[in-house]
Amino acid sequence: MKSKLFVLVVAGLSMLGVRAYAHHSFASTYLEDQKMTIEADVLQFLYRNPHSFLQLQTKDAKGNAITWAVEWGAGAQLGSKGVQRDTLRPGDHVIVIGSPGRNPEDHRLRMIDIKRPSDGWSWKGTFD
Amino acid sequence: MTSNKLSFGLAALLCVSFPALAEIDLSGSWAAINHEDSLERGGGPNPVDWAGLPFNEAGRAKALSFSQSIISMPERICWFQTQWHIAAGPFSLRMWAVPDPITGKVQAWVVGAWETRAPMTIYMDGRPHPGKNAPHDQTGFTTGVWNGNELIATTTHIKTGYIRRNGAASSDQATITTHFLRHGDLLTVALFMDDPVYLTEPYILTRSYNLSTNPVAIGGPPCIVGDEGVESGRVPHYLPGKNPFVDEMTKLYGIPEEAALGGAETMYPEFREKIKDKFKLPAKCVKNCANAGGN
Repeated sequence: MKSKLFVLVVAGLSMLGVRAYAHHSFASTYLEDQKMTIEADVLQFLYRNPHSFLQLQTKDAKGNAITWAVEWGAGAQLGSKGVQRDTLRPGDHVIVIGSPGRNPEDHRLRMIDIKRPSDGWSWKGTFD
Repeated sequence: MTSNKLSFGLAALLCVSFPALAEIDLSGSWAAINHEDSLERGGGPNPVDWAGLPFNEAGRAKALSFSQSIISMPERICWFQTQWHIAAGPFSLRMWAVPDPITGKVQAWVVGAWETRAPMTIYMDGRPHPGKNAPHDQTGFTTGVWNGNELIATTTHIKTGYIRRNGAASSDQATITTHFLRHGDLLTVALFMDDPVYLTEPYILTRSYNLSTNPVAIGGPPCIVGDEGVESGRVPHYLPGKNPFVDEMTKLYGIPEEAALGGAETMYPEFREKIKDKFKLPAKCVKNCANAGGN
């Protein structure tokens, strides 16, 4: 049923002329059946096309800084769901759940869920 | 009566004079009907799923070296696709005619651009394709002819592009032949990829569109380069024999590796007979299962 729904959504978006399209294949980029949680501070929010990216900074076991790139929807997609370019600012502390990238070197996730404990703001969903 | 006959005669003449014989009007906004290849045109195909692609050894080797992360290299994020993106992308089309300013005849048909595909300008004035040493770009050079009410466009001089968004590539020697067939408010577009470098036979995809009064945007929002997790200077890839996802389709769907790795024989129904003893139906479908009970 979800596949049928997916087809209908894709068809609907195409007919509306909405530009919602990954420049790469999600299935080939991410381990879609796995989830990973990161609690970190926002380094930068790139509100852009073809997809937005949220950059988070964490530290590894040795204390070295690691930058994570969390892939999110295109600007227009996020805007229609209430996420604006200034919704997230550098320094915001967030908890992100996402699908990890297939290539561990990339330190990337595909966004599934994000929460900002300081004010209770959150977003959960999917995007193409 | 004489007046009526004259009116009928004039009406008949008008009917046969406009448009020119055998040509049909393709202009308008054509809304994509993505009822086929939805995975490929949506979220994207699984890695090492090349079943049905007529790869030769070079095509397969290049695809196996492909890491999806390469598209997140800063210089490749806004990489333009070739005109094959019409076949494999999800978007709707907008088409219009460019008239010759003197004769009024159609000099070219244009298929509007998308965010990551340049417009396809189909020259109808009989001009030749550039010479073999002329520069190539992602747009390519396209000419068209009418075959009855079917417009056939031939695109050459492209750069390397993708055939399927999981590493299956087309070379700069490829030719894309695009057939536009209109049936009332329905448009069928059939694309043929002939590539002497990576394919042994033409690869064919079809798409359908409905004529729409909702205008399809020409071009899209600009692509902006940003950090996608691949630092400048690193070129993600897999060395020969090191692609970790070769058995992905076997694990997910029980599809034998020899089918997932493509080749011309995997395009034809007879191939199912060849692999029927190797195919193992999974106990439970876990991904893209339609009505099979998974997600």
